Amino acid sequence: MRQDLNKDHHLRKRLDEYHIDIPDFPMKPNRWERFIHFLASPAKDPLDPLISTSNGLLVLKLVPIIGTTAIAFIQVLLIL
Amino acid sequence: MRLSEREDEFMIAYQNGDEEALEKIYTLLRQPLYSFVFRYSRDEQLAIDIVQDTFVKLQRYKHDYNPRKGKLKSYLFQIAYRLMITKLNRRKKWRSLLPFLTPIQKEEFLYIERITIREAVAKLPEGQREVVLLFYYHDMLQEEIAEILGIPKGTVKSRLHMAIKRLREELEEEEYETGSK
Repeated sequence: MRQDLNKDHHLRKRLDEYHIDIPDFPMKPNRWERFIHFLASPAKDPLDPLISTSNGLLVLKLVPIIGTTAIAFIQVLLIL
Repeated sequence: MRLSEREDEFMIAYQNGDEEALEKIYTLLRQPLYSFVFRYSRDEQLAIDIVQDTFVKLQRYKHDYNPRKGKLKSYLFQIAYRLMITKLNRRKKWRSLLPFLTPIQKEEFLYIERITIREAVAKLPEGQREVVLLFYYHDMLQEEIAEILGIPKGTVKSRLHMAIKRLREELEEEEYETGSK
């Protein structure tokens, strides 16, 4: 199999192009640093599908208003 | 003296209480371990975590290593591979439960040639990717790969054959598209 791959100069050349830079890091793990990396890693916006459509945007604006009204209504009912 | 023999000697010294030998093992094997995990996952932080965890495990179970059973390099690759698969499976489970935790993939666009080979390797199915990485970039024998991945030698052979075939197809396809052939 290795001979087969060695004969294929083109594929070997392409595979050799896959270089990577190895960062400097200590042998001992630092739990705190890992936690910070986890918190700082960029994540998808959970509201992204809503923002991308006009209906979704409308829902996003109306939900807090309807929610606040509903809570206020419940409180009024409780007081009465 | 061959590099693998030196690694094994350092490990025996470490098992006999020489703490400096561990540093030497780390210096020799940090790079291959990191590059294997990074090429497989394309996640820099994961690769660092796995290398560190591999060495934590090596220190914790230092007397479990037996030079008669195989090379230290294969032993460490086996630990790293198992840790990586466990971590990736756990991640997959979490991401299916909480999809918004999925990080945005950061890609380094250095130059077009690199992207192509990276993409071609990344496109390979997991089983074929790990075999081709260990075989080509880490110069491992099929028996060693079988031991690291815990699969029969025949499966290594067939996966390798499929991976090479697929890489050829991918790269040729890309060259036709870019008009370089």
